[in-house]
Amino acid sequence: MLTIDKYAYANRIVQWSPQLKALCWLIGMIIAFQPIMALKPVLLVAVAWNTVYLTHVSWHQYFKWFYALLPFLLLSIIGIVFTAGTDPQQIYAPLKLFGGYIGLSKVMLPRGIAVAVQAGTAIVCTYWFALTTPFQQIIGFLKWTHLPNILIEETMLMYRFIFIFIEAFEQIYQAQKLRFGYDNLHLMVHSSGILAKMLFEQVMVNYEQMVYALDAKLYQGEFYVKGPEP
Amino acid sequence: MIELQHLNFGYEPQRTILQDISLKLGQPGQNVIGLIGPNGSGKSTLFLNLVGILRPTSGNILVDDQPIDYRKKGLNALRKKIGIVFQNSDQQIFYSIVKDDIAFALHNLKLPQAEIDRRVDQVLTELDIQALANRPIQYLSGGQKKRVAIAGILVLRSEWLLLDEPTSGLDPDGRARMLALIKGLVARGQKIILSSHDMDFMYEIGDYFYLLNAGHIVKEGPKDQVFADAALLKRSQLEQPWLVQLSQRLGLPLYQNSEALFADQQLQQTLRAALAKGE
Ligand SMILES: Nc1ncnc2c1ncn2[C@@H]1O[C@H](COP(=O)(O)OP(=O)(O)O)[C@@H](O)[C@H]1O
Ligand SMILES: [Mg+2]
Repeated sequence: MLTIDKYAYANRIVQWSPQLKALCWLIGMIIAFQPIMALKPVLLVAVAWNTVYLTHVSWHQYFKWFYALLPFLLLSIIGIVFTAGTDPQQIYAPLKLFGGYIGLSKVMLPRGIAVAVQAGTAIVCTYWFALTTPFQQIIGFLKWTHLPNILIEETMLMYRFIFIFIEAFEQIYQAQKLRFGYDNLHLMVHSSGILAKMLFEQVMVNYEQMVYALDAKLYQGEFYVKGPEP
Repeated sequence: MIELQHLNFGYEPQRTILQDISLKLGQPGQNVIGLIGPNGSGKSTLFLNLVGILRPTSGNILVDDQPIDYRKKGLNALRKKIGIVFQNSDQQIFYSIVKDDIAFALHNLKLPQAEIDRRVDQVLTELDIQALANRPIQYLSGGQKKRVAIAGILVLRSEWLLLDEPTSGLDPDGRARMLALIKGLVARGQKIILSSHDMDFMYEIGDYFYLLNAGHIVKEGPKDQVFADAALLKRSQLEQPWLVQLSQRLGLPLYQNSEALFADQQLQQTLRAALAKGE
């Protein structure tokens, strides 16, 4: 039982059919990746607000689920918008260095923002789906789509794995913060390193325990779904 | 009968965790076998070897005189004979509703639905958790989750039940319920192997004990023998059950459990008389 299951089980639209929820998710993803920019931030805010409304999750907890993903997102955006060049006209806030300039690229900045908004929208939509749809319903839905069993199994194990990862991240991060592990830049770098190492170890242990437990229950590679197939 | 012959095990080749373990589980009169030892002594590792999840580096495990068959079919048969409940309940609960999770193993066995329903109902009744049947797991207490985890294995009706640290993380009420639960199972003939460092709990419930320290069995025997040696327990980072301490250090009789102590009328009279005299 993971924290995510708690919200997925007890939200306001838990009784909606998973097909309908999946359709909403799909529409969200299409809007996230279509070209009209203006729609995306609107959707992002609306879906985030809707998620909090439907699941009764606190904004604080909701934001915390992004912490684990943020480093990856930030790194890719920084990779896109930072640039070095000889013409300061092309760069916002140019910084002179070795006879050239570095800073935010005027050409790439809009592109970077577009990617950020796009990824943000997609993540918010995916969280909406994951937080409103219980494990059982997701399996039911995947079976309904007639995907091969092996693919369904992989998806479900990965799904659980991701949230094991996020929960482990939160626990370690909290423990470090309590002991002032992030009070200055030096400590932050040091603590982040330890966090990454511990995260990896804990996730491996958790994953191993999950496999043992599945073994003990004679798991044969197929999660059953209760009642008539949806 | 489960027999271990000179079993050695290590997660990595350079470091052996279990060393030369030989034991026979399931001899007459030993229905609740206790594996006691401090954290890191290898209790969980030994359990994982018993159910074939880990494979000994050397030595043999015989189940009903047959060596474990590590092929898929053999392991499935073994899991039906020896059920195991792990320490961390959250890690072994996969469905959000109690009833669904308890039925999980039976669905994996592809039993007919009617049989599944019957077995689930029976176990719910036996563990006195019918009221939880349709509850989401999220609202359960730690003790309730533990019982659900046990129910999920009991439905397999295995001859042996392995419980790894069944009282860890439980409050006094949860612990008392766990004690009652295990006593109930024993009364109907379930063979149980428990691991724990909760000495009072083990003293009350077990018939026969193995004391594990740093991967070695340092002592085995019935409870009046294993718990008698205070120095050995201390060396193993464990402490004597309080009932044994009362007996050894205050000279009271050795009681089998706390109820026996508090029910002893003669002791009460003696104490009352002694206290009155002192005043
Ligand atoms: N998956 C693993 N990989 C490597 N070492 C392990 C693993 N699991 C346990 N150990 C080590 O094996 C030893 C015994 O652990 P364990 O069986 O969990 O002890 P106990 O259950 O008695 O607390 C410990 O030193 C532990 O660090
Ligand atoms: Mg253990």
